[in-house]
Amino acid sequence: MDLLTANHSGYPRIGSTPGEQTLRRAIAQRERGEITDADTRAAEDHLALLALQDQEKAGLDIVTDGLIRWNDPISHLAANLEGIRIDGLLRYFDTNFYFRRPVVSGKLARSQPLVLDEFRWAAQRSARPVKVVLTGPCTLAWLSLQEAEGANLASLIFSYAEVLSAEVAELAAAGARTIQIDEPCLLKHPSDPRLAREALTLIAAGKGNAELGLATYFGDAAPVYSELQELPLDTLVFDFTYSRNLQQVIVADGSAKPLGFGLLDGRNTKLEDKAAVARGLERMLARVKAEHCYLTTSCGLEYLPRDRAQLKLKHLTSVKNTLLGES
Amino acid sequence: MSRAKLHELGIELPPLPTTSVGSFPKPPYLVKARADFAQGKIKREELKKAEKRATEFWVRRQEELGLDVLVDGEMYRGDMVAYFAERLSGFEQGGLVRSYGNRYYHKPIIVGEVKWTGPITVEWWHFAQGLTSKPVKGIVTGPYTMMDWSFNEFYPTRRDACLALAAEVHKEVEALVRAGCKIIQIDEPAVSARPEELQLAIEAMAATTRDLKAYFVAHICYGDFESIYPAMLDLSVDNFDLEMSNSGLDMLRLFSKTHFTKDISYGVFDVHTHIIEDPPVVEQRLNRGLEVLSAESVWVDPDCGLKTRTVEEAQMKLERVVSAARVLRGD
Repeated sequence: MDLLTANHSGYPRIGSTPGEQTLRRAIAQRERGEITDADTRAAEDHLALLALQDQEKAGLDIVTDGLIRWNDPISHLAANLEGIRIDGLLRYFDTNFYFRRPVVSGKLARSQPLVLDEFRWAAQRSARPVKVVLTGPCTLAWLSLQEAEGANLASLIFSYAEVLSAEVAELAAAGARTIQIDEPCLLKHPSDPRLAREALTLIAAGKGNAELGLATYFGDAAPVYSELQELPLDTLVFDFTYSRNLQQVIVADGSAKPLGFGLLDGRNTKLEDKAAVARGLERMLARVKAEHCYLTTSCGLEYLPRDRAQLKLKHLTSVKNTLLGES
Repeated sequence: MSRAKLHELGIELPPLPTTSVGSFPKPPYLVKARADFAQGKIKREELKKAEKRATEFWVRRQEELGLDVLVDGEMYRGDMVAYFAERLSGFEQGGLVRSYGNRYYHKPIIVGEVKWTGPITVEWWHFAQGLTSKPVKGIVTGPYTMMDWSFNEFYPTRRDACLALAAEVHKEVEALVRAGCKIIQIDEPAVSARPEELQLAIEAMAATTRDLKAYFVAHICYGDFESIYPAMLDLSVDNFDLEMSNSGLDMLRLFSKTHFTKDISYGVFDVHTHIIEDPPVVEQRLNRGLEVLSAESVWVDPDCGLKTRTVEEAQMKLERVVSAARVLRGD
């Protein structure tokens, strides 16, 4: 089996050097009307390129564009849909990061691609395969406010699933081979598992040859591990930092699907004991019947300062090498 | 009950007392002075001179606008957690992380045992209080938020880190009380982030305020209040400063189901918008609160600190706070 090191999703878009602060400056200047949208996009490109370079330098097998252009995981997607306006700030799960809440005022429609151009841009510039990340329909729906009286969550989940399905189909047609649907909400707001299954089935319908993964985080996946295994996704990516016994559950139940092992804490600077991580990973890998698995962080790395995020990426490679007995 | 406590402390306030959450925008000359200081172009004394000038400006402006309980405006602070972390031992300054949109902060790292080594905010409180006869709130960041908004490389658990911080923050609060500060706000915006840890936050707040004679306010914002109310009322404070308006007054629904038993500093506008709400909008929000809350328990203020607004916007928003309270008082 191949063990692939993968960036989970996001990456810091600011660092300590002036060059790493280009985007912050550009956005502030754009708000004051001093530069154009094209100038802001150039600054985004610069930071996205730095993110790609960091991942390649760290030796990762699978990279992302760092979600550098995302205002937050919710409004970046929702703001480009018809039927939605973007409202005030709310805390993003239990982080100290805040997203702008979408307010659903009409029928959702996707009149333009959401992240397709971002994928194309990164794929043209990366020597490594680029994973695409999309926030899932359950998380988008949970974190949206519906204005209409009597509106229900289930129909909003399906509305989001429909637009995401179209996006996934276009991404797959454009050559995306790894697409990850992020659904932290599934662990924080457990709801009817049929809803998630049907919504994700709708999204999976358009995936073509792409490997479609589901990432859950910010909660304990152990109690719902068997339910998650039944979802129509090719891979499952887990956050091990919230769970005392997810490793034991995986060792006990095994997996016929490739798994993503989020064993390094994406929200704390402390670097884990690589030998201990490698030992736990080895026990779980022995129970997975798949051609490949992923070693990653518990969540995206935007919660860390850039220098520490770089160290976490390098640590992924270091843990893999330890496992393979190469260092 | 809390009015009696204020009376005991020698503080008499009008109905619907007006206040603000703590931070105000820094005037351009101070922004420049901070940048110059960071680049080594000016000395600390020069920076402090600019901070004092800005503090005096805001104290005077609050008096002129007619606010009842003042703040020092936090002209000398950057980030609310980093400021204290830089002055407690056991912390290392971390790099920038994003809080939202294009806003970033230096997130501290706990690398050793946390220790209070001396008063942090007392001198500034003294300075601000010396400029006015109105009460000035002392404001410190609470232990739960200090823990939650820092990386932890030292303590084995979040609980260990939080309670260690509570013991040290208590010393700062005690220093404020000794200096004569009678209204002290403990900023705990993170309290609503992890409902499963509410009991830890309550335990930490009790340790922070233990055996100290003051009127305590807890500022909490941007969270899932549904999951911590009414249990959050067990926090050992007299007044909860809450962002009511950003969430469309949703919390009133909770308060109408289970009575709000403490005083409340009722946020009457969202601070993260450049829009200056019309007076009738602000009055209507306050009126809706008064349908559910006891008038004697209500203070009026913005949802959160105003540091992200311009100096002009912040003044206009504060003016709206005062005018809404006056209209509803029948002044």
